[in-house]
Amino acid sequence: MRKPSYFVSQGLQGFLRNGVMSVASVAVLMACLVVLGCFALLVVDIDLNLENLGLMNEIVAFVDYDLTEEEIVAVEEKIRAIDYVDEDSVERITAAEGLESMKEKAGEYAYLYEEYEDDNPLTDSFKISNIDSEYVEDVVYSLQHIEGIRKVRNQLDLASTIESFKNGVMIVFVWFLAVLLIVSIFVIINTIKLSVYSRKEEIEVMRYIGATGMFISMPFVCEGVVIGIVASLPAFFITTALYSYTVSSMADQLTMLVFVEVGDIGPALFLAFLGIGVLTGVVGSTISLSRYIRS
Amino acid sequence: MIDLEHVVMSYPNGTVALNDVSLHVDEGEFVFVVGASGAGKSTLMKLLLREEKVTSGRITIDGNDLSKLNYFQVPYFRRKIGVVYQDFRLFPKKKVYENVSFAMQIVGVSGKKIKTRVPALLNTVGLGDKLNSFPHELSGGEQQRVALARALANNPKIIVADEPTGNIDPKMSFEIMDLLLKINGLGKTVLVVTHDQNLVDYYRQRVIKIEHGHIVEDRVGGMFE
Repeated sequence: MRKPSYFVSQGLQGFLRNGVMSVASVAVLMACLVVLGCFALLVVDIDLNLENLGLMNEIVAFVDYDLTEEEIVAVEEKIRAIDYVDEDSVERITAAEGLESMKEKAGEYAYLYEEYEDDNPLTDSFKISNIDSEYVEDVVYSLQHIEGIRKVRNQLDLASTIESFKNGVMIVFVWFLAVLLIVSIFVIINTIKLSVYSRKEEIEVMRYIGATGMFISMPFVCEGVVIGIVASLPAFFITTALYSYTVSSMADQLTMLVFVEVGDIGPALFLAFLGIGVLTGVVGSTISLSRYIRS
Repeated sequence: MIDLEHVVMSYPNGTVALNDVSLHVDEGEFVFVVGASGAGKSTLMKLLLREEKVTSGRITIDGNDLSKLNYFQVPYFRRKIGVVYQDFRLFPKKKVYENVSFAMQIVGVSGKKIKTRVPALLNTVGLGDKLNSFPHELSGGEQQRVALARALANNPKIIVADEPTGNIDPKMSFEIMDLLLKINGLGKTVLVVTHDQNLVDYYRQRVIKIEHGHIVEDRVGGMFE
């Protein structure tokens, strides 16, 4: 068995020898990886925001305006007693805290709320979190039937809208993944076929000398791997650059959203690109060779 | 060493290239295989190298029943046979030394052994001073010598030469044949497929004549006609 360096050098030579076809393969695979990377980052960001906003399973119950402190405490006890509500997940937010929170969110317009400090129109509320999504509707129903609660705000609709959007993105993502990978593999198959054809006579002699199928095919598999690696590197830099640019453009306008840092996800994205690139190269070259080697 | 028993080889288009061919070649024999174009010589070569499988009958070479060899066993079987072609089939971008050493590298011979064996082989074929030449810098006869050295590189038991003198001048042809006889003298079984009547008549070895897929003559010390 020859040293792996022989196969790698043969793969590199094949990559260089195929000039235009190699560049075409790299370009298609690179475009595929950039699109995939963008979709992946979008999905990660949606998840992050869903998590960050706590929209998935948070309910807020507002008490009546005229309740005394004792009555509010009684309401709180009833809330904690509801099935599927974790006692530690019930947080009371007083009217004053609610107003303060609104002022904070208003930023430079906080002064608009100052006039309400003496006559706070808000009431106390209870934030109930960490509810199993399966039982959210049951909890809402129970809350609505507790005396002293005037309103229950349930953001499940918004959460499910965002979740649906995410699922839609995922479906498009999967289809893009399939179509683009098939296109990439197809281009690589043709590139490797061309490479095999250009060395047809050499391969024939190698077969008569007694070279194994593995020995003959490894340089071509390496060529496919080279295509994958060469495509994945620029794809990574283009994707992260596009993402950074987009995030910096949106950050000022969409302050309520959070975005994953390139530094946090970069290594995983890089490894994913490299893995997909190498795998595509191996699959493409293997398919291309299978018929020839078996003959 | 080589046994063909009632071998029939027909192609998918219906052409019967060999029809009920039986022959036996002993270890260390030198055999000319002659016949007109289309007689079945090339098919016989393909069968011996296990490039094709027989339609019926059996071929046994050095104890290997070729019909029973699977895909993974074929390369190892082929290492028992050194092949020489009419058009040399050298690697044009490799030097003479590399052309021979590559054949050894393919089968996993150590670098140390390659360094001692390749110059010795090239000396045997009279090209000890051409190690660093490229094939295009050599004459046809010299290129065929390199091909012979390559065929011998892995010390095969059998040498199969397909029209080895077809692309070289008559004087060189005799030199190549002398070399093949020399190799035969080393104990190798040699099969030479040829059209060259002069060579066959001159060397007076065993001659197997094929016509229309049948062996029509098999004589020791025979002539072309």
